[in-house]
Parts: sequence; structure tokens; C-alpha cells
Amino acid sequence: MAEKVTVASDWLCGCAGCHMSLLDIDERIVDLVQLATLTSTPITDLKHPSKDGVVVGILEGGVNNSANEEVAKTMRERSKILIALGDCAVFGGIPTMRNFAGMDEALRRAYVETESTVDGQVPHHEDIAVMQECRPLDQVVPVDIYLPGCPPSADAIWFVLSELLAGRMPELKGKYLDWH
Amino acid sequence: MANVNITINGQKLQAESGKTVLEVARANSIDIPVLCYHPALSPQGSCRLCLVEVEKQRALQPACTFPISEGMVVQTESEKVQASRKFVLELLFSERLHYCMYCPMSGGEALTECELQAQAYRHGLTNWKYAPNTSKRWPVDASRKYFLMDHSRCILCRRCIRACDEIVANHTLGVRDRGTRTMIIADGDVPFGESSCVSCGTCLQVCPTGALIDRRSAYMGLQTEVERTKSTCMACPVGCGIEAATRSNQLLRVEGDWDAHNGGLLCVDGRFAVVEPPTDRITVPMMRRDGELVKASWDEAATAIAQRLQSTGPAAGLASPRLPSESLSAFRRFFREVLGSDEVGLLYGELPPVDVGPFATLPELSAADGILLVGGAPLRDQKVVGYTIKRAVDQGTTLIVVNDTPTDLDPYATKSLKVADLAQATTALAPSERLVVVYAPGLAPEVYASLRNLPAKTRFLPLIQGTNTAGAARVGLTVRAVQGAGLFVMAGDDATDGRSLPAAEFTVVQAAYRSAWTEAADVVLPSRTWSERSGHIVNIEGRELPVVAFLEAPKGIKTDAATLDLLADRVVRPMREAAR
Repeated sequence: MAEKVTVASDWLCGCAGCHMSLLDIDERIVDLVQLATLTSTPITDLKHPSKDGVVVGILEGGVNNSANEEVAKTMRERSKILIALGDCAVFGGIPTMRNFAGMDEALRRAYVETESTVDGQVPHHEDIAVMQECRPLDQVVPVDIYLPGCPPSADAIWFVLSELLAGRMPELKGKYLDWH
Repeated sequence: MANVNITINGQKLQAESGKTVLEVARANSIDIPVLCYHPALSPQGSCRLCLVEVEKQRALQPACTFPISEGMVVQTESEKVQASRKFVLELLFSERLHYCMYCPMSGGEALTECELQAQAYRHGLTNWKYAPNTSKRWPVDASRKYFLMDHSRCILCRRCIRACDEIVANHTLGVRDRGTRTMIIADGDVPFGESSCVSCGTCLQVCPTGALIDRRSAYMGLQTEVERTKSTCMACPVGCGIEAATRSNQLLRVEGDWDAHNGGLLCVDGRFAVVEPPTDRITVPMMRRDGELVKASWDEAATAIAQRLQSTGPAAGLASPRLPSESLSAFRRFFREVLGSDEVGLLYGELPPVDVGPFATLPELSAADGILLVGGAPLRDQKVVGYTIKRAVDQGTTLIVVNDTPTDLDPYATKSLKVADLAQATTALAPSERLVVVYAPGLAPEVYASLRNLPAKTRFLPLIQGTNTAGAARVGLTVRAVQGAGLFVMAGDDATDGRSLPAAEFTVVQAAYRSAWTEAADVVLPSRTWSERSGHIVNIEGRELPVVAFLEAPKGIKTDAATLDLLADRVVRPMREAAR
């Protein structure tokens, strides 16, 4: 039996909607796991890609703080092919709207000025991730496949995965391409 | 025009000399993608998306501006061309911030209303090749009441500028600065809401992206989710062709019909003001009991009206000129045949003599080489006529304004004369091959007599007041004082505008909205609005134009014909019974 293709996924500054859309492939997941091994995802037991690396890495969400940056770099190192899943990973997504206000004002609004906060403080600690400008994944690591959509449809995700498993680079067109 | 032989993609084609490569391609179903090109505007060649390979040319050429010549060989799908298109799109996306995610025009391939996004899908773009600056938000100008401009989404195609110059002739828009700092501006770079913009919305209609957005209908439905109905605007007697976009029985927005006599052009009254009608809609008949207007059934109301109209003595009737000819005709017949009365007239309206000569059409006005404007204020009262006159002047037409008071078209006129000097005007315009006379009501009979004496090829456009005053005249309804013990007012969706009704012992008002008239009436009947009625109006060109209902009236509001039939029945029934 041919060795199964190892696949890992993770999420950064995302809403998890793209992973939900991935699950929307429904019963096709049975076909998927005949040819691929889902090694680690945020929604299974193992959360981080192993040091041995995987063939296909999938990242949802844009890069928004130093923790996201670390996760993105780790996944890039440990994947042969990296997929940017969803508009946030491809374009930066809705969270980039925070950039228009500027970092200081955004942090102040979130931690100090929120209506239900008393004596708020913008948190700073060596254990906490440092906020950064929200940006698309490819501004931090090289990306091999872009799968836009908010979220991309389950059909589009299935198309990309099945093309890869068949040994082809997927070409997104028509109903699979939607930057909505 | 000589015919020219060219070859596109190996296909031998023939076309008139003077055409562009794009025009010939389109005429032969060869699709060349475009962004800054628009069929109603002069070609510009600024977006570079339509670049094609032309043999013997040093570089790729824009199809929209490149004129054909004998023996030209064009390739529109070569690798070089395809690579160029992708590059142009990638560069367009790298500038400003084209964020599809929260744009009202964005959608999937079949649904999108953004031409830039459509081209990106078509060319298989999955991401930004050259990342734009995702931290900088370009300005949003929301100073106009009905639509706003988001500069982040502008691709500087300048369709808006060309529309403002070439279709409306208002010349409000322009650009400032160069390169990446280029910005579309109004006048001397003032907020749009403070500029000479007249909110005609033509720029909005031609904008390919979400840069110009209609505020009322944003996010309320994409192309395939809305129904579109062609109809005629009822705001003034020009009767512009419109397309009403509706969803779930709500009017989302009104757009100009490119194929109608107005050529897609509308004004603020017809495009924007109509989308938010008054809110105090009357949906049921009402009768006065103990001084208060209370809900009544159609049966009660109709019977009461029939009784009172007959018992109070001769009845009089007034109808709104906003009603279609069919309703006006039925109203007239109800009075003449059922009530035996000739005391009927229009609530308001002004009709100059329409027999001074053959009617002009709006396109003829636009193509005139001489325009004589006698009286009137078209830029205020028949705006699309005013814009058309300005457009003609831009193209070299001689305009002479004859008016005893200054008008807002004086700055565009070659001469402004007093009415007494009309003869000077007609002499000056004598050399015109295509003279159009635009004339107002209320002028002295000698003036109309002089107009009648103009050469036979002269065409005329009467500046009528009141949407269907001309249609009303054709069915025998004019503005006149009427007197009756009973008064039946068919107001439709008209506003009172401070007018008062003649006194009567018993007043019935049929209206769509509450007003001073309904509050003083004895019986009130609900009415349909212009958007809920089908029929015809006669416009300033003397043409009968179809008004097509695009909304369903609230339940229980009868058509005008059904209302009059019911009243007729109630009037005639007792007569029948008495005759037995």
C-alpha cells in the first residue's frame, strides 16, 4: 500500500470558520483518510505538527501577533506544501480592519475603553504574545497554494485536497474561486 | 464610410473605417476584457486591460482606442496578451485597498457586481501577487446624501469623470496630483456634498467597482437576487426610462435605462428621492364619524359617497396629473357617464400649446445644432432636458435663451434676450439645420404664433408642468376652476404642496398618503402609488410611455378602475332600483 500523505493544519488569527468548512466535506472525509493521514489539527487530539514534518500544511487565519508568527513559521518549516486557507490567510481578512485604527488605539479600545471594563490595562508580559499589524500569511512565510473564500466552500477545499492527492497542483477557477 | 478588412484571431472581418479594434471585436462576439471602457462614454485607454497584439506595432495596443486600418492583424488571446492582462490586474490590486470582504459589490463569480472582481475571477487570480498596504485606509467621502465614494476601491478608470462631462455636462469631477497620489476630486477638491454636483447619480451607475456606492441599497441584494423592471419615471413630464431594482416587494434603487430616450441619464428626483416615499400610507377607506376619521369598509364608504354625491347636488372632480392616462380617462368617464357632470379638472399643471410644430425627441435635442429656449427653467423643472441642453452646447450647439428674467442656462448661451426680442433670436438661429425650440407655458399668444412660423424642419419640446398633464389633456382634463356641492379628489400619491381645495359641502379624497386634504375630507379612500400602477403617460416628446408596476400594493387597495367601478355601481344601483 502506498504511503499515506501526511497533512497537518493549524489556525492563527481566524474564526475557525474555514476549518468548519473543511468539515463540511462530510462523508468525503472517509475517502480523504484512505489517502491521507490527518496528523495534527486544532480540532483533533494532536495540535502541533511533528518535527518529522508533513507533506501538506494548512493554515487558517492571518498573522496578527508574535504567537501567530511563530506558529506560521513552524508550520512552514515542517510542511513541503503550505496552503493558505481562507481570506484571512490569503488577504489578511476582516481582522486587518484593526490596522486602520492603529495599534495603540485598537489596544486601548479593547482593554481600557470597553464599556464593561473597570480600571483596564493593556496587558504586557513576557509570556503573552506581542500584538502586531494584522497581515496576510505570505507576508511572513512563502505560501504555495492560496485558497481564498470566507470561508472557501467545502467543494473548493475538497477540490484542492483531492488534486494534491492525485499529484497535481490545483488550479482554482469558476465556482471554486470566491473571495467573498 | 469605406469598409476595411482586418483579421482578429485568424478570423477575417470587415468593418467601417474609423472603428476601433474593440468595437469590431464586440460586433463579432470576440470578447476583450475591459475596465475603463463603457459603451456610453468616449474611450480613454487608461486601464490597459484591453491591450492586444497588433502585428507590426512595437508594443501591445489598447483595443478600445486603436483605430482599425486595412490589412491589420490582431491577436487577442496570445500568451503575451494573457500575461499582460494578468499583470495589469495584479498591479491594479496592489494599489489602494481592494478588500472584497466588506464591499457591497462583492460576490461569487456569478453574483459579483464588481467588474474588477469579475475580471480577477476570470483570470484565475487567487491572491495578491504584489501586496497592497493593508494598513492604510483611503478616504471615504460621505458628504452627499444619497451615495458615497470610497477611494480605497477606486481604480482611477475615470468613467465617473467622463460621465459627468459627457452625459450630464456638469463638469464637476476631475483629478488632482499624479502617480500613486492621483485622486478623483470634485471642483477644486472640496467634499462632494459641497460641490457643484447635482446628485444625478450617473457616475454611480457607470462606476465599475465599489468606489461609488448607493447608500440606501448597499448590502441589500446582488444582481441575481433582485428583480429588475423597466418602467417610466413619474417625477416630471420628461418620463425618463428607468429600471427599478426590487427585492421582497421593496424598491432598492432606480437606475437609468440606457436604451430609453434619456440614454441612461436621470436626475436626483427620479433616481434617489423616490426610493424613500412618505411614511403615512393610507391603506383602508376612512369615514368621518363624530368629527373623527375612522376605518370603514369599501362597501360602507362607496355607498356613502354615492348617496352624498347625488344628494348634495352637482358634483365636481379634481385629479392629479401624476395619474396614468387610463386612470384619468376613467375618472372623466365616471363624471360624465355616471354623474352626468362636466365639472372635472386637474389639480395643477401647465401645458403650453402643443400644436406649434412637430415634437422633438430628447436625442434630437442632444443632436441639435441650434437650440432656442423660450421661457421656463429646465435645469430646475425638467432636469434631464436642462442637462441635455448643456451637453449639446458642449458639443458646439448654439443656444439662445429668451427670457425676461435671468435663467441658470444663461452662462451657456451665446445670447440671452428678452421675450420682446424673440425675432432677433429666430434670425440668429436661421442657419441651423436641426433647430429645436424648447418653450414654456404661460407666454403671450404672439410668442407661440412666432414659433409656429419657424421653418418646417424645426422641432419643438414643450416644457410641460405636471407629469401627465399632456395625457390628461388628451382625455379632456385640463386645469380649471371647478365648483360643486360634492367634491371628489383623485390625488393618487401626489403631495398637496400647500395647495388648497375648492370649498364643498362633501369632500371625498382618494390618496396614498395622509395630508391636509385627507385630514379635512369627509371620506378618504386609499390609492395605489406610481410604483404599484400600470398604465401610460404622455411625455414632453408627445410620446405615450408605459408605466409598469414593479411593486405590489398593500392588500385591500383597489386600482383606480376598480374604485370607480365600485362607485359607479353604487350610484347606478339606486337609480336602477328606483326605475323598477
